[in-house]
Amino acid sequence: MKLSDLEGQAAEILRRYEYPKAAMLPLLWLVQENQGYVSSEAEAWVSRQLGVAIAKVREVVSFYTMFHTQPVGRRELRVCTSPPCVLRGANALLEQIKDRLDISPGETTPDGAVTLTQVECLCACEMAPMVQVDERFVGPIEGEVLDQVIGDALSAPGAPESAPEPDPYICSDGPVLSSRFGDPDGCWFDAFVAQGGYEAARRVLESMTPADVIAEVSKPNLRGLGGAGFPAGRKWSFIPKTTQPKYLVVNADEGEPGTFKDRYIMERDPHNLLEGMIIAAFAIGSHKAYVYIRGEYFRSAHRMQRAIDEAHARNWLGKDIQGTGFDLEVVVHRGAGAYICGEETALLTSLEGGKGSPRLKPPFPAISGLFSCPTIVNNVETLACVPFIMRNGADRFAEIGTQRQGGTRLFCVSGHVVRPGVYEASVGVTLRELIESEEYAGGVRDGNELKAVVPGGISAKILTADEIDVPMDFDSLKAAGTMAGSGGVIVMDETTCMVKALDAASTFFADESCGQCSPCREGTAWVHDILRRILAGQGKLEDLDDLLGVAGGMEGMTICVFAEAAAWPVQSYILKFRDEFEQYIRAGGSADREAAECQA
Amino acid sequence: MPSLTIDGREVSVPDGTTVIQAAEQLGIFIPRYCYHPALSVAGNCRICLVEIEKSPKLQIACNTFVNEGMVVHTGSEEVESGRRMVLEFLLANHPLDCPVCDQSGECDLQNFYMNFGLYNPRFREHKVKKQKAVQVGPHVMLDQERCILCSRCVRFTDEITETGEFGIFNRGNRAELGVYPGTELDNPYSGNVVDICPVGALTEREFRFQARVWYLSSASTVCNGCSRGCNIDMHYVLDRPHLNQGKRVMRVKPRYHGDVNEWWLCDEGRFGFGWLDEGRLEAVRGPTEDASWEHALNVIAKLMQEKRVGVIASTQLTNEELFLIREIFPDARVTASVPERPGSSDDFLIKPDKTPNTRGAALLGLAGPNAPDAEDIVDEAIAKKLDVLWIMGHDLVDLFGAEKARELSESVELLVFSGTNESPTAELAHWVLPTASYVEKDGTFVNCDGRVQRIGQAFPPLADSREDWRVLLDLARLAGPSLEWSSPAEVFRELSEAEGAFANMSYETISDQGALIPSAKPTEAAS
Repeated sequence: MKLSDLEGQAAEILRRYEYPKAAMLPLLWLVQENQGYVSSEAEAWVSRQLGVAIAKVREVVSFYTMFHTQPVGRRELRVCTSPPCVLRGANALLEQIKDRLDISPGETTPDGAVTLTQVECLCACEMAPMVQVDERFVGPIEGEVLDQVIGDALSAPGAPESAPEPDPYICSDGPVLSSRFGDPDGCWFDAFVAQGGYEAARRVLESMTPADVIAEVSKPNLRGLGGAGFPAGRKWSFIPKTTQPKYLVVNADEGEPGTFKDRYIMERDPHNLLEGMIIAAFAIGSHKAYVYIRGEYFRSAHRMQRAIDEAHARNWLGKDIQGTGFDLEVVVHRGAGAYICGEETALLTSLEGGKGSPRLKPPFPAISGLFSCPTIVNNVETLACVPFIMRNGADRFAEIGTQRQGGTRLFCVSGHVVRPGVYEASVGVTLRELIESEEYAGGVRDGNELKAVVPGGISAKILTADEIDVPMDFDSLKAAGTMAGSGGVIVMDETTCMVKALDAASTFFADESCGQCSPCREGTAWVHDILRRILAGQGKLEDLDDLLGVAGGMEGMTICVFAEAAAWPVQSYILKFRDEFEQYIRAGGSADREAAECQA
Repeated sequence: MPSLTIDGREVSVPDGTTVIQAAEQLGIFIPRYCYHPALSVAGNCRICLVEIEKSPKLQIACNTFVNEGMVVHTGSEEVESGRRMVLEFLLANHPLDCPVCDQSGECDLQNFYMNFGLYNPRFREHKVKKQKAVQVGPHVMLDQERCILCSRCVRFTDEITETGEFGIFNRGNRAELGVYPGTELDNPYSGNVVDICPVGALTEREFRFQARVWYLSSASTVCNGCSRGCNIDMHYVLDRPHLNQGKRVMRVKPRYHGDVNEWWLCDEGRFGFGWLDEGRLEAVRGPTEDASWEHALNVIAKLMQEKRVGVIASTQLTNEELFLIREIFPDARVTASVPERPGSSDDFLIKPDKTPNTRGAALLGLAGPNAPDAEDIVDEAIAKKLDVLWIMGHDLVDLFGAEKARELSESVELLVFSGTNESPTAELAHWVLPTASYVEKDGTFVNCDGRVQRIGQAFPPLADSREDWRVLLDLARLAGPSLEWSSPAEVFRELSEAEGAFANMSYETISDQGALIPSAKPTEAAS
């Protein structure tokens, strides 16, 4: 389709946003969906549509990984090689796929059928090793599924897919978050309402004040479940009582390796999230909400949009919701491939049409956020807890959890366990229970010994096998010297080579650093280079101290906490497994090296 | 007004002041790359780390607002080690090509390494390769490898010129500065990005490989390119004729003035200095081969006492010189009101009047509504109502056409041309007097906002050229009225007594900030 034919759609997209530049990512998506890639003519077209300099368009196009600047194949096959997938054989899988397609990542088969892309974490670690064919996640890729996926990738877009739908283990016990997860088609409006959906929102809109709502959410200590653990009610209370527009922004840019919970909420219980959003928006006085969904989560975006359309049709969104006089519009905004956009200020910069560069704080978003207006950014899971609290009461929510953190979490268990999957459990559940209990991940695979666990997404400091008798709430894990983070539990068994595991993590951070602050931009790449040299048998023992020095130099020295997240694995892996690193380096390029290596 | 302590010294500053600004008030320099007072705070370079008591980690001084009772340390061991680490990060991928880098000698990577670095480098990996020697615009060269991505230039083109040419493309350590392919950094202020670049990433095309900066001398002056009067530093070399084909002026840099040009200068002013060393008039020319200053001045002095004289002065001349003209030619037809065509202009710095002292000339009655029109004087001369006509710097051929200029030279008894550079009018004149350019003499201009600014003298006049004021004083001695003054400063003293607009001003009070004439309202010169 020609660019000029897209102008009607572009105008419609522009109308969703307060400022034209915010339509940057949607317009680039529009172009790519219609033309296959973003040509320089398209950059010029977008620059004209938005009234911004073309260099700003190029900044954005080059920052996000999902935009192509050259023509690509009819389909795209993305292979995840982030740590949880690597633990389950992603590197070998990539080699097999390269052989089968006879191309390298970044290349397209000569017949133009498929472009192969190597990507960082797609947050589908429960189906590791996994790939994405265009919009669809497939995994685990083993046995005949590899043949099916290759077949799908080489077939014409729209042809029936032969690879099966992933069937990971999913907890649907509830009671807060997952009770509707079991039936992917049982979450739409009528079913949701039949189960008491939107009743909490009705009660809030009809009979409560914003202050009541904030008090009710604060009482059981609902914490921010994106990773930081900041009390949600307190965050809401920071919104100034001014007449400025206020925004609720849902952080659905799930990207932390080892984490895949928000996707389940959006795909299997979108109305629950919407109900939480209505309550939150009412509490902070917002009439416009954005759901920022990572670009790779096509299905989440489609299903959220369907739920929004349903809610609109039934007057649970839009003007004068259910006759209560409260208005709320919700816009789905899709990212385009950048982990850093999960950082709340980077998310706002991205939503405003820029690169995903975190902002200096202060000012905090509650004072000056989206479009310089008071803004609350909440994680999907946090908001999904809100209807339960308002329906069942703060006390009920509190009693499920611990004293300083109410409720449950969706724990994502991946790596070397018998049953990788998403498990709802009280935040007081111990790490050992999550890994070993038959109710959850069912223990370490193949009867192997546990070696190490990352308890809260790849950024969290690693724990050894004898450090797992710790409750999973924010405060307990902090006291244990690590963090609850995003709730992504990555399990490593005795076969894991810690040098390679750290290399996979460092590759992720070097790829995903936004590049803004010098210590992070240079430090993440430096760490990665040293590790690559060690892996190549060129390591020196002093490299370990240099790694610690570089990590220490990044920590606490940057605008956002990405640099800490990158530093902590380096520090904790070397601190806890130094012997193994030294052994690896000593073996160097010699014949002993293979022996010294564990099999990852 | 919160009070805080920085390195043991107390200071009170207005609310909303940042630590880096407060430190500056105490004369404490905190190193910076990305911070620039004219631009939004980016906070990305991290070199301005300071220790703030009761704060768990080091803070960046550029984005930390002062609080009552805050205690700041800018040189503690923790701060020093933090800075060292930041420098090590910044230099990890730096190409260290200082021997071929024009920035060398005025580079803040060099300076801060020597002041705050001096570590043993640990980086043993391959450096990232990026593009070098990229011409991004008519005046600016980019070296992506030297760039530390501080984003000053990006913010300049986003926030000051609002032209948006620069972007930082890609991310992580692949991030690189550039312009969009096929576009150019060609806004009228492009040269400023070279000044604000703290390293050798952006350098001037014109200055490229011309001289090491440590050979440059610098003199403060005021740009004569338009009536804005931007404060500038003239960088020149007098003692190394093998450099720059023997030309003295190497480059021009803006000098900060909060009410005139802030940190900036337009490209026209920055790069339009070629005439100072090219095409200059170097010797007196007259009807005979042995023409000399003495000979010329005697001829002029004699005739000006006996004949009807016209002087077409110039708004390129200083107030002192215009005042002398007025004093020396009390009965002559004198004007500085010449119909120059207005040039390009904008709402930032560039003014349409391409001369520096129209306002001064008007205050002295030589320009403005009451001053005679230059063309009328030329017509009077052609009509033989004048016998002597002295043209100061103007090209009559360009102004009134070749035919009229020729007619004039044939009509008058004596046509004198004084000026800095060769021109068609000089060819027609009976006597040609080489005069000093504005950087070769002292004096004052009055800019468009009524600010009297001193131009200073950077270096002596070229060859046998002389300052206009000296020529005029010499003439006065020959033709009377005898004037006792011997320098622009002395002339200015008389001028300030004679002209109310300049009352109570002296070179001391004008200083390096200039002084507003009483009728000039305070204006925002450059915002």
